Amino acid sequence: MRKKVISIHSSRGGTGKTVIATNLAAIYAIKGLNVALLDLDFRAPSLVDVFSNAMKDPVRHWLNDFLDGRCKAEQALTNVSEAYRLKGKLLLGLANPAIEAIRNMMEKSRAWEVTAVRRLFSLRSTLFEEMDIDCCIFDTSPGVQYTSINAVVSSDISIVVATTDSLELKGLENMLVELYDTFAKKTAVLINKVFPETRIWSSEQQKNLISQMEKALKHPVIGAIPCYCDVLQAKRTSLLAVDKPYHPFLRNLEAVAEKLEHITETSSEGEVCRAKS
Amino acid sequence: MGKAEQSTLKVELLLTKIVDDLDLVNQKLDSLIELNEKILKTQEEFQKVGSDKSHFETELKPELDPMSLLSLPMSLRKTVIALYKLEKATAEDLSKETKRLRAVESASANQLVRMEYLKKKRTGREVYFYIESPMEIRK
Repeated sequence: MRKKVISIHSSRGGTGKTVIATNLAAIYAIKGLNVALLDLDFRAPSLVDVFSNAMKDPVRHWLNDFLDGRCKAEQALTNVSEAYRLKGKLLLGLANPAIEAIRNMMEKSRAWEVTAVRRLFSLRSTLFEEMDIDCCIFDTSPGVQYTSINAVVSSDISIVVATTDSLELKGLENMLVELYDTFAKKTAVLINKVFPETRIWSSEQQKNLISQMEKALKHPVIGAIPCYCDVLQAKRTSLLAVDKPYHPFLRNLEAVAEKLEHITETSSEGEVCRAKS
Repeated sequence: MGKAEQSTLKVELLLTKIVDDLDLVNQKLDSLIELNEKILKTQEEFQKVGSDKSHFETELKPELDPMSLLSLPMSLRKTVIALYKLEKATAEDLSKETKRLRAVESASANQLVRMEYLKKKRTGREVYFYIESPMEIRK
């Protein structure tokens, strides 16, 4: 896999971004790739809960501290690969869930955001050049906010997770044009929680839905994952890729992970589509 | 009352009126002088702020945060994103990063300097472009 940063974003909350981001990271680490998973959703941090069982010691340095220049990149990252017996490294960068920290991040000035985006670029270099990371995944906050824009700007590929909700699709359509096209970012849409809920979903149905969505959104759709009740009901601390590796949700996400490996920053839209099939 | 006495009274009344009017003119002149002093004081304050360059740099300097990039033309935006990554770069460095011609990068970076988004510095024969972080200025 060519070294890359993938941002997982959405036009609104509740699309399943965090489940996609954590399991995508685990899928790559299980394969033996070295992965960094960073929680850039400073308004509603969630990775700290997902990985709470895997953290041996209390977190001493958060990503907030790194972006504020209070610690080095390596101090804000924790390797949890041993806890899940993963073949590759899985480094976590967590956002501080304390109310005071959230409030503090919400009050940051535009000047601070300039410094923050530059620190994200320097973090990329550290991860790829000094820490032997193959893939870095940003779990971002939904919608158009400073932290999500910083993540999109500093990533190579953006995956926009969406559901088939018509209201959300309207917002997504605007965001694709006004944000992603403006930054000329390599973007692919991933449709999640597709109805009707069924595990016996023909590939023909899947292809039809993808084709309809591509037509409507005028952007490549990298996959469509059905809605599984047990995924929605699973404990926050459950990492499906490790706990239920044969779950159909994982089969679908593994297919997406494989396609993503072949997409590069310079891939044309046609190449993204070829990677899709 | 004789005619002479009546004339004297008229002259006295006239003189009193002239004195009253002169008092009024004096009051108005005092107000004008006071107003003029206020105008001069305000002008001095403006001149003082204008000569203090650092005041403009911290308060009025445009900030190049990612949200502001959305309002820039695509050609300039690419250069800024490359500079986020490189921090300090020549037009040649920018050209390697953006895969555009050196001349395009040079024009784009100089345009951003004119817009006060970027700074440039000559080191020997090389001209380096960089983003002067407002946070660094304020330190």
